[in-house]
Amino acid sequence: MVAAAPTTRARRARRRHADDDAVLTVGRSRTGTALANAAGILFSIVMIFPVYWVINTAFKPGPEVLQLTPSFVPENPTLDNFVSAFKAPLFLQDLLNGLIVTVIAVLGALIVGFLAALAIARFKFHGRRAIILVVLAVQLVPFLALLIPLFLMLQKANLTNSLIGVSITYLVLILPYTVWTLRGFIAAIPKELDEAALIDGCSRFQTFWRIILPLTGPGLVATSVYGFIQAWNEFIIINTLNSPEKQNLMAWLLQNQTNRGTAWGPLMAGAIITSLPVVVFFLIIQRNIAAGLTAGAVKG
Amino acid sequence: MHAVDSPTTDPMMTPSDVIAQPAATRTRRRSADGRTPWLLALPTLLVLLGLLGYPLYRMVLLSFQNMRLRELITGRTPPWVGFDQYTKVLGDPVFWTVVRRTVVFTAVSVVISVVLGLAVALLMRRVHRRVRLFMIVAMMFVWAMPQLVAAQIFKWMTDADFGVLNYLIDKLPGVEFQGHSWFLSPTQGWIVITTLVVWAGIPFLAITLNAGLTQVPKELLEAATVDGANAWQALRGITLPILRPLLIIVTTLSVIWNFGLFTQPWVLRDSKVEAEYQTLATYAFTQAFGRSNYSLGSAISVITVLLMLGVMAFYIRQMFKIGEVD
Repeated sequence: MVAAAPTTRARRARRRHADDDAVLTVGRSRTGTALANAAGILFSIVMIFPVYWVINTAFKPGPEVLQLTPSFVPENPTLDNFVSAFKAPLFLQDLLNGLIVTVIAVLGALIVGFLAALAIARFKFHGRRAIILVVLAVQLVPFLALLIPLFLMLQKANLTNSLIGVSITYLVLILPYTVWTLRGFIAAIPKELDEAALIDGCSRFQTFWRIILPLTGPGLVATSVYGFIQAWNEFIIINTLNSPEKQNLMAWLLQNQTNRGTAWGPLMAGAIITSLPVVVFFLIIQRNIAAGLTAGAVKG
Repeated sequence: MHAVDSPTTDPMMTPSDVIAQPAATRTRRRSADGRTPWLLALPTLLVLLGLLGYPLYRMVLLSFQNMRLRELITGRTPPWVGFDQYTKVLGDPVFWTVVRRTVVFTAVSVVISVVLGLAVALLMRRVHRRVRLFMIVAMMFVWAMPQLVAAQIFKWMTDADFGVLNYLIDKLPGVEFQGHSWFLSPTQGWIVITTLVVWAGIPFLAITLNAGLTQVPKELLEAATVDGANAWQALRGITLPILRPLLIIVTTLSVIWNFGLFTQPWVLRDSKVEAEYQTLATYAFTQAFGRSNYSLGSAISVITVLLMLGVMAFYIRQMFKIGEVD
């Protein structure tokens, strides 16, 4: 601490105990801090405005949405848009489709991915690097590019216009990230635990089943939530492969935008219903998402 | 960052470890017992090979054939045409326009988002704790928005007649923006698309870079300040070198994501993307599924993947270089 004014010194000292994240206190003027705070608040308002605008639009009755002077707070708030979204053709059907597809894909990816994550995290063997390379590389392949051959393959297998076909595609979509993230969780479990279990006479399989799997629990939850988000948000693949009654909610939103170009109220209400699970889940597991993408880049 | 990223324990066991272990565990690290890990990884490898590797191979094959709607319906093997699709694509000035547009968009949007992301991350280190929390909450909501929904919001906000953007701009003195169409001129349309992409991309960049900034030793920065370095010198001399590996990774990821831009033009142009708004991804898709030119679309995709390979290789090398993955 250098040359802090007497009045602020006590507060600074208190903050030093509270703040553990590298906040500089040297050579910081009060004016600068005030300006920074103002900039931060302004930035946040600009960022959040579009999100607020969805909510604002969703609660307005039809005529109020189409006013030449938009109201920044709904004058006559109503739930009509949400009701009409739920009553819209295929909405509930597509909600259910989306859930089915997502659950199958996530469960499949978890089971398959956990085994591969075990191999990478707990064994040293020839080809380990190669497997990691494959997992990292396929994460980067633009999936849309593969849509053409996938479409033809599923066509041959009679799996276009089926929920199973889309589920399998989504499983592949989320598998690399699943393996990669679970690997991180497993690597964080001390090896001594496995060793102790082995000494106590567990087979290796029992060690995985009784020690690693339960300890990876939170990791499995976080990973599956992220898989859910990815599969739930996808709409191009399902829109290309399937007919209107076999879509998910995202694709439903896209089609309704085109069909009823100006029904912004119900569309925004539908967008809120569709985004809500994603946003809630995302906020719960946000810490792990960046971690999986930039693993090890910051020595934490 | 999260506990998950703590550097992995060294998989090599020290000799004393081996001596201390009973025989059962000693074989565990020996590559002679290399079957178990392969068995564990087998399902994943099979899935990836069958549903990523094989389609990739099929895509390359397709690009040397001529697959049209007739072949799709009858199931007949499409005729082999050698490099015809490639000469068609590469000889088409429209294709080169799309490539140039995609490259320019990627460069512009990545530079803007990374610079802004870093600026916001630095700002986060400077503001009061409560303000930082407010910033994080705002950004989290933006980050959590599904791409499609984000694009629809922007479509609604830039609506010519009832969009809030025209209304706000119209309020400025001496500006007439009532009923202004944002997508009439491609330049303005691309400004909207770029704004959308940057807006959606900042949270990931700022929050990740902020996590990286917390790793910069406070003492170094304080010492520099005491020694009379200004903020810019401290940033250039201390912060950026420490942040470099992370900056490279988030920049590379941004390049990969923005180069494959599809959703935003697709949604903003109502699934009917005009020539001025085509990117490589939408162009390949339109050729394949819009005009049933599956082979032509495949050729475009192959070229796209080849263009991306350098960037991807760079990303993977960085991941290995950091030493987390060895």
